[in-house]
Amino acid sequence: MEKSVEKYNYRSDITIDWCPGCGDFGIVSAVTQALANMKMDPKDVVALSGIGCSGKTPHYLNIAGAHTLHGRSIPYAVGVKLANPKLNVLVMGGDGDLLGIGAGHLVAEGRRNSGIVVLLYNNAVYGLTKGQAAPTMPLGEKVKSIPRPNMFDKINPIALAMASGYSFVARGFSSEIKQLSMLIERAMKHKGSSVIEILQPCPTYNDVNTLDWFRKRVYKLEDDKSWDPVVNDKSEEDEKFNRGYDMSLKWGDKIPIGIFYENNTVPPFTERLSKIVPDYLKYPPSDQDVSDKDGYTIVDPIKTFIEKEIE
Amino acid sequence: MQETDINLLVGGPQGGGIDSAANMISMAFSLAGYNIYGIREYHSNIKGRHSYIHFRIMHKRPKSLKYPVDIMVALDPDTLFEHMFDVSHNGKIIYDTSFDKFELKNARMITSDTMDRIVNELKSRNLTLDIHGILDYFRSVGAMPIAMPFDKLINNCVPEGPATRYYNTLGAGTTLAILGLDIEHAYEGIKYAFSKKPSVVDSNLKVIQAAYDYVDKSEIKPEVLKTYPVIPRMLLTGNDAVSIGKLMGGLRFQTYYPITPASDESTLLENHEDIKFLENETENLKKAGLVVVQCEDELSAVNMANGAALTGARSATATSGPGFSLMAEGISFAGMTEIPVVITFYQRGGPSTGLPTRNGQADLLFALNTGHGEFPKMVISSGDMEECIYDAMNALNYAQKYQMPVIHLVDKTLANTMDLVPEIDIKKVKIEKYKDNNNHENYKRYDLKVDDGISPYGVFGKDIFWMTGDEHNELGHVTEDTSMRDKMMEKRMRKLLVADREIPLEDKVILYGNKDAEITYVTWGSQKSLLLDVIDELNKDGISANLLYLKMFEPFPSEYVEKVLKNSKLIIDVESNMTGQAAKVIRMNTGIGINNFILKYNGRHMTLDEVIKSTKRIMNKELEMAVLENGS
Repeated sequence: MEKSVEKYNYRSDITIDWCPGCGDFGIVSAVTQALANMKMDPKDVVALSGIGCSGKTPHYLNIAGAHTLHGRSIPYAVGVKLANPKLNVLVMGGDGDLLGIGAGHLVAEGRRNSGIVVLLYNNAVYGLTKGQAAPTMPLGEKVKSIPRPNMFDKINPIALAMASGYSFVARGFSSEIKQLSMLIERAMKHKGSSVIEILQPCPTYNDVNTLDWFRKRVYKLEDDKSWDPVVNDKSEEDEKFNRGYDMSLKWGDKIPIGIFYENNTVPPFTERLSKIVPDYLKYPPSDQDVSDKDGYTIVDPIKTFIEKEIE
Repeated sequence: MQETDINLLVGGPQGGGIDSAANMISMAFSLAGYNIYGIREYHSNIKGRHSYIHFRIMHKRPKSLKYPVDIMVALDPDTLFEHMFDVSHNGKIIYDTSFDKFELKNARMITSDTMDRIVNELKSRNLTLDIHGILDYFRSVGAMPIAMPFDKLINNCVPEGPATRYYNTLGAGTTLAILGLDIEHAYEGIKYAFSKKPSVVDSNLKVIQAAYDYVDKSEIKPEVLKTYPVIPRMLLTGNDAVSIGKLMGGLRFQTYYPITPASDESTLLENHEDIKFLENETENLKKAGLVVVQCEDELSAVNMANGAALTGARSATATSGPGFSLMAEGISFAGMTEIPVVITFYQRGGPSTGLPTRNGQADLLFALNTGHGEFPKMVISSGDMEECIYDAMNALNYAQKYQMPVIHLVDKTLANTMDLVPEIDIKKVKIEKYKDNNNHENYKRYDLKVDDGISPYGVFGKDIFWMTGDEHNELGHVTEDTSMRDKMMEKRMRKLLVADREIPLEDKVILYGNKDAEITYVTWGSQKSLLLDVIDELNKDGISANLLYLKMFEPFPSEYVEKVLKNSKLIIDVESNMTGQAAKVIRMNTGIGINNFILKYNGRHMTLDEVIKSTKRIMNKELEMAVLENGS
């Protein structure tokens, strides 16, 4: 029997302690809305975060979650996903977490493509440590929390995600909750790994990229009916990748939000593994029996390592 | 009749087939009913630099190596110079006649510091700095150089290939012929060594034939080597043994980042993801295989293993010093959040990049103190092949049972030791699982209503719970409450006391030998088997010695160690480091100070001869601390 949507409450009863007006509230709403739309059993979805304001998100959700180390949410997520590929795995990380201290993991996961959903909260500052410049803040930008104009140039998260090999790359905005929940749902249904960059204001420390600043600039890609970023056949791959990449360079007075690129022809890591380990998807590491009824090993060491035997 | 005890060294350029020669020799002797014990030494280099394998062959299982060797095979001229002092009186040295024109100044692959030492040694003896100088030296100490026309012999039977490709087989074959091993065993050795390259088997067999023919026609009259009945055994390195133990112990998720000398374990596992299960399994078990993930760095490796453990999978990673440094934060997280994870730590020569392909035991205190904050972790150590297997199984058990990171220490010497293991006892270690959670509705991950500090282990996919590296409450949510902090700290640390109480003493520390012996050695890691041989040798000289062998450092068996050492006469701490780290741990835990040491930190394995010599000097009060220098 199908459970009704109301049956699940995806919000935990923990008090949210983000600042009033923080974009993170919109992200939590979008996530819970996406889960509700999908009638997702809370036991089938897991949230992994790193450190920072974004890192607190799993505590606010009534799904299993781990608030892990700074920059390491992706390794945790991949460990969970590959050990139990039946789970839907969400990563919630900030721009500092995923593009600064954890950038190596973000890039490597593109190559692996394990089938996780990375939500990249982008407010251009390290909020929880009082507003230092994050890797997404443009060169020369001066927000109120930094003592001198930013000395570094910014990373383009969409272009980086595409170049790294993510097969679903999108951008949302924390105040466009309906579109953002649609993007999250699409990403969760996509079999490969996804990155959704989420533009969001930090009302306390970033007085440049404010809610109004974003509102005036964002426009939805899907409003242009000719925009088709989905690759269902290898022959479309180059053209659609190039178009998505060109679109990722657009920034300034007009900022596109929506799906930049979706490639359904890339086999995720779980599929690649199942070719080597028979029954991997049926009995992943999380589900396997490792001992017999008497508690002894079920592995035959000689047969497994037959090349080591001398007889 | 004296028991056969052959000490052998095969040296040559890295990439010159030393491994194949080693495999071939091992197989040939094991088929003749012998046991072998070998250690590989190599540079951090792919091709060209000096590498060698040091072997000991006996009927009873040897547990150590010794210098000088009885036969040395030099596949390049460098080997002759690098091992100038390693050949015994009456020892045989096999080398290529073409080395005749070799001058030391052309030995580009000998590092300048080693070159300086060799030049000084030759000059001080008024010897020429070329092949003739070194051969004169060997003859002067009673060794017998045997020049063989390598190229001619090889080209005669394998005209097509470059002759250098067969130097290893010719050298190994000649060794076997000189030692009087039946040629059929040598053939089998070739088939084993080249089992992955069947196309080259025939040509290598011809080279073996050529080697035997040459020895036959020469002045060397080998005696026929006695053979013994053969029992099935596995030819394993320490890396192999840990892999086997992990897989038997239920490992289903392994992560790694390439690093010497750890990655051989993971690549072997990668090669065996498709596990073969025992056939007499009548139960309908859920079986599939292992997942091995090569990660982008060790930060990812340890944290990915932690992540997999959250689903209930038995997971582990393997690394060496530099990688372990990067893992510290992830280990602290596993301690805080009570994740069962195993980190196999292959120690090599440090600090920093140090001696990346050489031995070291300088990371004991680092392993014990890794990670910020105070949290429970276990630190265990293995000393021989069997221990590598069963300790790897136990490590997984401990991690699951006590929900904490377990660090399993192995050293490079053990990782690269070749040994014939007679039998793996699949029922020696029972698989123990985490305390299951049955309360899926109102689950508290860190339930405090447990006397032993061990809360039921819920898993992602079955339970909803939270976890955080922050201090947390029973539900796993962040707290900074003073009283909850105290309770959680005490809960976590209590698990270590429980582990200490539950784990039997013999898995922590073992006293080998007579408890009233004149000498008590204290050691850990790969010196275990060496010291057991040392004790046997000393007994022959009428000296009684025993060995207090440490296997577990956290929790530490303080009471027992104190009891043994209090009654010991002369305590000698034997370690492959400079500061006697195990002795420090003993002092910290028992208050007992050790004053005599045999230490080695040149990166090479300890050998029987040097330990015995140093022991006698310590007994004679000539010195308190001996620093060993053997090895090339």
